Amino acid sequence: MIQGNKLLKILLPIGLLLMQSFIATAQQTVVDSSVLDRLNELEKKVASTKPGEDHVMIVGLATMGFATYKTTNTLNGTSTVTKGNSFPDADHFELSPMFLWRHGNKFLVEFEPSFSNNGLSVNWANVSWFAAPGLIIRAGYFVLPLGTYAKREAAGWINKLATDPMGVADMTPTDYGVEVSGGQPLGNMKFNYDFALTNGNQLQADGTITSGNIVDNNNNKTFTGRLGLLPFSNSSLEVGVSGMFGKVGDQGSEQLNTMAKVYAFDLNFVKLYKPILVNIKAQYNIQDIDKVYYTNPSDSSLYTFNNHTTAYFVQGSIRPTGAEGFIKNIELAGRYTSFNTPTNSSFGSDQHTITVGLNYWFSWRTVFKVTYESYKGNSTASKLLGFYSGTTTTNTLFIHFAIQL
Amino acid sequence: MKKIFVIVIVLTGFVFIALMNSCKVSQKVSMKTGAQLWAENCQRCHNTPSPSSFSPQQWETVGLHMQTRALLTDEERNKIVEFLKQ
Ligand code: HEC
Repeated sequence: MIQGNKLLKILLPIGLLLMQSFIATAQQTVVDSSVLDRLNELEKKVASTKPGEDHVMIVGLATMGFATYKTTNTLNGTSTVTKGNSFPDADHFELSPMFLWRHGNKFLVEFEPSFSNNGLSVNWANVSWFAAPGLIIRAGYFVLPLGTYAKREAAGWINKLATDPMGVADMTPTDYGVEVSGGQPLGNMKFNYDFALTNGNQLQADGTITSGNIVDNNNNKTFTGRLGLLPFSNSSLEVGVSGMFGKVGDQGSEQLNTMAKVYAFDLNFVKLYKPILVNIKAQYNIQDIDKVYYTNPSDSSLYTFNNHTTAYFVQGSIRPTGAEGFIKNIELAGRYTSFNTPTNSSFGSDQHTITVGLNYWFSWRTVFKVTYESYKGNSTASKLLGFYSGTTTTNTLFIHFAIQL
Repeated sequence: MKKIFVIVIVLTGFVFIALMNSCKVSQKVSMKTGAQLWAENCQRCHNTPSPSSFSPQQWETVGLHMQTRALLTDEERNKIVEFLKQ
């Protein structure tokens, strides 16, 4: 018995200990399984929101506004005055959603349909392949690398003024083709290149050229190329030179071999001189089309002219981005534009505009602009053929709102 | 024609200086942070967007898109996107 008691004394605490540890283990299992359940659930959630490699994004822009103008035309000593105003005036109403599809870091597809006061159209639709460091290969419908205004500065929420500099953007086509581009360091500088091969422009009956034709009018492709240099390591200055060369005549016509050569020189300088951000932009375009004969629509006689066009603008703007409060959202901008179309053609004229603007930025991508533009045009069209249209002055006030979507 | 000539000469000058410099390895970009490159490059065409405007996924997409517009070098793009994603 004594031995039994002793045994009990020894076994009891051991039993208690064992029981305790059983209970503890049981509790432990309960805790573990609930944590595990939650972990599993979280894992499922994470898996269902896994970003994947693809990404779709809709960006783009919307612009709207109001324009009021007064035009005075003087022809043969007689002046005619026209006044008008309109909400969605040319250039000033646009809603363009842009679709971006990205596959990993190699492919980007861009599609920008546009609803504007000119109707429905497509601004661009193309695929970019980031083939190697410093090499982007693109195919589809895209803005050509002639100058920088059309490709980089024209969007309503980017442009500092309500209007485009006349002639400059219009001389850069959007076209179907292929393009290679890229940027590389060059010592403490950077350089970039952008070359495209496209269907090319088409010569019209009056000697102007149009672009963006899905069917080519001849078998000759147009080459467009730009070289850009950023000479300072802080990237404040970029200068570029570009050219576009191609035949513009219709296949089988006498004008088949007519060449169009267009050159552009661009400059962009942006630097903060505390507290003021200084912005200077300029572009100079020269277009030469071989001299050929055109038919006068009124009597079918032939005429010719030196088909030479120039367009340029110089723009400056300042904004005290480094200041405090309200004032840092205010921007002042001014621009001089010149557009000379061929003398003795049916449409020639020497045109100049001075444009000034005051902007209020709600955010980096939302702006309210008040722009005043003064235009002067002297017709240089052929008097002999009856195209001369006198001198014209137009003063326009624009109220304009632009937002990046 | 004279004007073109002058402009071409000036630009050739730039390219020449560039080539003279190219023997040096570009340390400038590799020494710069993503934040600095963002501040210097994005303001060239439009106002500098704030990092809070988009999600990391969206910044990846915008990064590629802006590389096609600004012709940034790959190093610049990667550094700027990494900064914007934070
Ligand atoms: C060379 C000019 C240029 C530079 C430099 C530039 N952008 Fe842009 N950016 C544009 C243009 C032009 C658009 C308008 C959309 C278009 O043309 O497709 C745009 C649009 C955008 C948008 C709107 C969404 C989109 O993808 O269209 C964002 C965000 C943006 N840029 C961010 C940046 C950032 C960040 C940088 C600095 C790395 C930068 N940009 C540098 C030209 C530029």
